[in-house]
Amino acid sequence: MDIELIQTQIDSDAENINSAEDLEEFRVKYLGRKGIIAQLTASIPSLAPEQRSSFGQQVNTLKNRILSLIDEKQRAITAQPGASERVPCDISMPAIAQEIGRLHPVTQIIDEICAVFNRMGFSVVEGPEIETEYNNFTGLNIPLEHPSRDVFDTFYLKGKNKLLLRSHTSPVQIRVMKAQKPPLAVVVPGRVYRPDAVDASHSFMFHQIEGFIVDEEIKFSDLKGVLEVFAKSVFGQDIKMRFRPHFFPFTEPSAEVDISCIICKGKGCSVCGRKGWLEILGAGMIHPNVFKHVGYDPKKYTGFAFGMGVERIAMLKYGINDIRLFFENDLRFLKQF
Amino acid sequence: MKVTYNWLKDFVELKISPRVLAEKLTMAGLEVTSLEERGGDFVFELEVTSNRPDWLSVRGIAREVAAITGRRLKLSKNKKNYRPSTIDHRPFSINIENKSDCPLYTAKIIRGVKVRPSPPWLKARLELVGVRSVNNIVDITNYVLFELGEPLHAFDLDKMSQGAILVRRAKDNERLTTIDGEQKILNPDILVIADKTKPVAIAGIMGGRDTEVTESTKNILLEAAVFHPVIVRRGRQAMGLQSESAYRFERGVDAEIVEGASLRAAALIEEVAGGRRVLIKSSGKPKTKKKNISLDTLTVQRILGVNIAPAKIKQILNSLEFKTKTRAKNNFLVEIPAHRQDVNLEIDLIEEIARINGYENIPKSLPAVKPMINAGAKGNLVALIKNILVGLGLNEVITYSLIDKDLLKGFGMEQVNGVVDILNPLSKEQEVLRPALMSSLAKCVAYNLNQKQEYVNIFEIAKVFPSIKETPEEQLSLGIALCGARSLWFAQGHVQDGVGFLHLKGILETLFQRLGIKKEEYRFIGKNSYEFEVLVKENKIGALRRLERQILESLDIKNKEVFALEILLEKLSPHIRISRKFTALPRYPGVYRDISLVLREDIPAERVIKVIAGRGGKLLQQAEITDYYKGRQIESGFKGLTISCLYSSPERTLTEAEINPIHAGIVQALKDQLQVKIR
Repeated sequence: MDIELIQTQIDSDAENINSAEDLEEFRVKYLGRKGIIAQLTASIPSLAPEQRSSFGQQVNTLKNRILSLIDEKQRAITAQPGASERVPCDISMPAIAQEIGRLHPVTQIIDEICAVFNRMGFSVVEGPEIETEYNNFTGLNIPLEHPSRDVFDTFYLKGKNKLLLRSHTSPVQIRVMKAQKPPLAVVVPGRVYRPDAVDASHSFMFHQIEGFIVDEEIKFSDLKGVLEVFAKSVFGQDIKMRFRPHFFPFTEPSAEVDISCIICKGKGCSVCGRKGWLEILGAGMIHPNVFKHVGYDPKKYTGFAFGMGVERIAMLKYGINDIRLFFENDLRFLKQF
Repeated sequence: MKVTYNWLKDFVELKISPRVLAEKLTMAGLEVTSLEERGGDFVFELEVTSNRPDWLSVRGIAREVAAITGRRLKLSKNKKNYRPSTIDHRPFSINIENKSDCPLYTAKIIRGVKVRPSPPWLKARLELVGVRSVNNIVDITNYVLFELGEPLHAFDLDKMSQGAILVRRAKDNERLTTIDGEQKILNPDILVIADKTKPVAIAGIMGGRDTEVTESTKNILLEAAVFHPVIVRRGRQAMGLQSESAYRFERGVDAEIVEGASLRAAALIEEVAGGRRVLIKSSGKPKTKKKNISLDTLTVQRILGVNIAPAKIKQILNSLEFKTKTRAKNNFLVEIPAHRQDVNLEIDLIEEIARINGYENIPKSLPAVKPMINAGAKGNLVALIKNILVGLGLNEVITYSLIDKDLLKGFGMEQVNGVVDILNPLSKEQEVLRPALMSSLAKCVAYNLNQKQEYVNIFEIAKVFPSIKETPEEQLSLGIALCGARSLWFAQGHVQDGVGFLHLKGILETLFQRLGIKKEEYRFIGKNSYEFEVLVKENKIGALRRLERQILESLDIKNKEVFALEILLEKLSPHIRISRKFTALPRYPGVYRDISLVLREDIPAERVIKVIAGRGGKLLQQAEITDYYKGRQIESGFKGLTISCLYSSPERTLTEAEINPIHAGIVQALKDQLQVKIR
């Protein structure tokens, strides 16, 4: 075989390589098991001994030439994907479905809020939804026959000896404090129930997150610091906060906490009732009577507690105007989050 | 509680605008929920917390305004001669059956009044605070109630039997028509005001219609009293009544203001309606014990985290009419005024100091939190399961735990699990606590189908409340419901994937695999054509279900099947193995061999796999069904399956010679045991 002829053939074949298939054909023709290079190499032993060396070198040069051509063409083909196909894909066609489900927006908000408190060292604890009058009221310094109880209207279970559906997550304070000694730092998410007529802002079932901390040197200033970290993490660095004195039977001093309206940035709009502020939670220093109920010494320990409505936070954050949407579970609603 | 700017000015000098005042009150804990300019005055609507009955009057709010604006409360300018002008010597007695029900009762008799519409100033003020004008006498009792916080009631004296007032418990079945025109049937839990023969008012709540003051009234009896808060509360709840008077008695009325309020009203009546006082009488002398509380200024700092100088503390307390006596360097003895029944502990004083000093003047700090270890393990598991299900494309729903009992019809859960009834539901939708999730999920599916959703795939993890034992139980349950067909685009085109039992099985398989529950540890036992039980290690943990026709009809689901499953997480959790151990990857490649066969339709696929596994020996790693077919090429009553067998060894690459006899043995076993035909 004439090496030079082969050389010419290689170059002209290489010219015509336009696709991966062409390239593979080329590779097989020259470098394959029964390809031309293999044939040339196989012919070496039949040559005169003095010719073998220079012929071998020529074959080797050819082989290297082929390899570098393959390499060059490979790059050319990859650099122009689909050079061989006129229309590789109509990218405007619907995507091939890769569907993921969604967590309920209430779960997402609970997860987000609990994560903020987790970062500050709080642990997540849950409690039962069926409670005793003691845990729901008396232990929390709420007298059974007093107007302070009116905001905690409660569902009772029929024939079950004064068992009720918890009207807030605070009974978990009593459970945790009775079971453990300080230091404690806990957040409690969960369902709560109140016999409220259902409308755009009321539901007979909703979610709260309770948080509390008890140790030897917990102060009101700590409550302010912790809640600021929370509010800024959830609503953004730029919001302002204010603490207003309020009354809760289980905390003293008590506060309601407002953030500057996230819609109007404090200028006053329909969402904040022209006030520029949005109430987001209630809080305070745990009342010494609560400590007495669980057997803690109020002279030794202090603590703070706070509670918030999850749906309210979700409504503010997502701009949802009707609480009923959370429980209708329309997939078109759920898939927005 | 509503109050006006001008009315406040009767009691305290105001140098700040209504807007600034509203802001100051809000930041002192007396939240102004609205401020409105009306009729040349400004109306403040206030949210008075239940611990502060002293704020349920204009004078009480003025006292707070004085404290936060640094002014003094004006003394009452209406101090006139309160002595009766003429004395009536007819006998009159007040009898209180039980002093704890009614610690104080006072009466004034005024004769010769002219009942007329109220003068404009009186009408206007009452209307600004939301009270409808009735006549001059009734309006004056309401005016003084708002001004001083003491509820008053005026009776038409001539419509009562003469000479005595009785404060007593009602008798069983005694009746009284209240001024709202409704006849109330009373009982001994209710405290009434009665004359010699009959009840004339429900004490502290509402007067009777027969003795109310009308245009023809000439002589009146003016009542001012204190009633026990709990008696009033129970009476109001039992009678289904609501009044400004009951609202104040329930929260506690200061006994020290009763006589003053009564005299103030009597003087106003004489001024506006004429007449002359002929009798002043009272019964009961409530003990007003002076409360003294020791206050340590270091405790103030310990609780608040801010250092407030003792002089400042003293000034704040004094502005609120608390008297202070310095006992030691850091200690005050604080005397609590009678109108502050809510202040009983040192901590209550600390709140007053924080409130008036301003919460905004407390700094922010962060506590050194000592995290607890290993808490919330169950929550983590729930979050893990939720994330797996979401990864499988399911959408989480949250449905009500309280449901209409009828929703359970056809599910049979009521019979199996029992049900917990709610004592006081507001509607049928809150009748019972649900014993399982499935019916709520079915309802949710129906809702979405109604919204024209073609494919519904949802899950919920929540408590269920079966009532098998005496004390109700709470169990955490997982429910999944699928309905309709998923529209899928594949490279080959568009496919409708109609859901069925095997979709539920697929979800469970992945879930169990992720939770470390071994595949061979669960199986399905057909109970009937609608239900399969799910077992792990022979224990039932839940069920898969195709909802019966009857259920679908009751939910108005047409031409669709709903597949649902419910699993009790408490029963699943003992089998969960989250911790993982690494298994070395195979070093030698395996060899796949397929078997395509035809077998009787009624033989479960599971039996084919069992036969193969039984014959495969150590080198068979896996046998999987990779295809299923029925149709033209297959005789009816039969089905075609393709099973892919994987052979490999951890020690070497297997040769044909090693695999062939094993594979042939498997094929032979299938022929022998299941009479399959190889295709």
